[in-house]
Amino acid sequence: MMVSSNLSRRSFGSSRDFDLINHTVLLIIELLRSFTWRHSSTHSRSSLFFVRCVIVMDRKVISCGRNRTNETRNATRHAEIEAIDVLLDQWKEIKLSQAEVSKMFTNCYLYVTCEPCIMCATALSFLGIKEVYYGCANDKFGGCGSILSLHKSDKTSCEEVGGKSYKCTGGIMAEEAVSLFRNFYELGNPNAPKPHRPIQQP
Amino acid sequence: MDKFKDNESWEIIHIPDKLPFPPHQQPTVNVYAAVIDPKHANTIVRKLNKILPLENLRHVKRVRKQHLDGGSTHLSVILCLAGENDSQLDIIPQEVAELIDFYQLKTSITKVCRYAPLSKEEWVEQCKLWPTSFHPPTYNINGITGFSEEESHSVFTFMKLALNLAKSERQMVNAAVIVDPSTNEVIARACDQVYSCSCPINHEVTKTHDNMLLNSSATEEPKLLYDGVSCLNPWGWSNQKSCDSWHPLRHAAIVAIEDSATRDRNLFPGGRHDLADIDHVQPALTYPSSKKQKTKSMHVNDYEELDPHTNDCDPVSSRPYLCTGYDIYLIWEPCAMCAMALVHQRIKRIFYAFSNLKAGALGSVHRLQGEKSLNHHYAVFKVLLPQESLNRGVKTE
Ligand SMILES: [Zn+2]
Ligand SMILES: [Zn+2]
Repeated sequence: MMVSSNLSRRSFGSSRDFDLINHTVLLIIELLRSFTWRHSSTHSRSSLFFVRCVIVMDRKVISCGRNRTNETRNATRHAEIEAIDVLLDQWKEIKLSQAEVSKMFTNCYLYVTCEPCIMCATALSFLGIKEVYYGCANDKFGGCGSILSLHKSDKTSCEEVGGKSYKCTGGIMAEEAVSLFRNFYELGNPNAPKPHRPIQQP
Repeated sequence: MDKFKDNESWEIIHIPDKLPFPPHQQPTVNVYAAVIDPKHANTIVRKLNKILPLENLRHVKRVRKQHLDGGSTHLSVILCLAGENDSQLDIIPQEVAELIDFYQLKTSITKVCRYAPLSKEEWVEQCKLWPTSFHPPTYNINGITGFSEEESHSVFTFMKLALNLAKSERQMVNAAVIVDPSTNEVIARACDQVYSCSCPINHEVTKTHDNMLLNSSATEEPKLLYDGVSCLNPWGWSNQKSCDSWHPLRHAAIVAIEDSATRDRNLFPGGRHDLADIDHVQPALTYPSSKKQKTKSMHVNDYEELDPHTNDCDPVSSRPYLCTGYDIYLIWEPCAMCAMALVHQRIKRIFYAFSNLKAGALGSVHRLQGEKSLNHHYAVFKVLLPQESLNRGVKTE
């Protein structure tokens, strides 16, 4: 459970900020390690092996999500999208307006085990999230610096249509992220039509 | 019955993986050339083609014929490649040098275009330097080099279907139609659901939409009236008036993908690779140590193995694998979120009618079809809707 303090210190301005965020990061690491998906007891074991994320506001975890692409057969159901939908449902339930929800997102921090893909990075910009922290970089689909930098809508064209930027910090809790992925990798990918390695079927 | 009579004025343009070079700025290479006596031309060209065929410059013609002012013609031939530095006579291969000596040729360095022309404009421009050959696109399975008449017909039909969907809402929206081109079956159809509204649709609105689309095809500038088109105005969701239901990320393509996934689950419930089945046979969290060794160094490259949908379609399974082999029709070029969603869902081809200059990810702002690192690539086409056929085509449906 390592947090590179060098990296963290470089990312945050004052030491007060550092303490605050560092505390949150430690909390998140614990959560990522321990939480199992609440609603799916049948999938509780497999749920250990997915990309997962949590959303934090006012130092409280207000939502979490894991990759649900397999069971939905919808390859867009990434952890970030799942966590966002949990929040939207909550906020719509208490009848927040679009403007109010938009305001809420500007106070949200998202923590995810792997760099958001191009789709999720774009979605987080559309929502106007405050900050994103991720574990390992994603050099195939990464949308926060690896392939594209969608967290920075500095393109003039984007600004004309109200493009929003957010701060994005990678390399947080890399060890944790890697071990989560390693677990999944070793299990094999159960739903792929041609598994990477044979999975014993009954 | 001839409602597609006007299809001739429609056009399908392939949007390539990389930006084409401006016709007058194409990359060139230096070659040694020499003026030859027409009566030796055949012999020299035959010998040169044998000694040194222009392997990587197949589009370049070996001989150039120039008509001079006096009415005479001038023949020049390409001998071999030259270095970029002007005085490298030593790189001329021995056999070519012998040829030069034998026919007493006076060599000079000239430029030819590096790549085969992709369009007539490029070709015309190339021939000003040195003649090249241009092979106009012919039919192929992906449509990248052209569509058969029958296929074009289907493309226009589905684009019209999408157009009608886009205009069916209170406000102009984007629409998405997912089609299986092998059967021409519509797999899913959807409109933007960023703001849904069940208020009755005013028929005057539809008429305004027609005019808006006509203007849009002329200028392609997103106007205020297009605020409801999610991919054009993806950050604008919070300024919209709340109606029945809303969701900032439910762009048409995302909704269509969801509908196709629901259809898949309904048509093929269970499936062979269900997670629950795996759970029963695989004791959780215990792994043979041999497996551990294989994965001792976790690298980000391994991410692909972790993507649950990385592998290709299983040929023995009848169950579709995501949207493998399917096409999607969109009115507007998708934003980066939608374009990447279509990568994830393995769409084969994307057709859109209007460019999205401020937020489009298939050529306007980004060009995802050219991002080599992605694990799936679709072909992208823009369907040009001529004004009068747009009007009539939509109304005859
Ligand atoms: Zn993602
Ligand atoms: Zn979109």
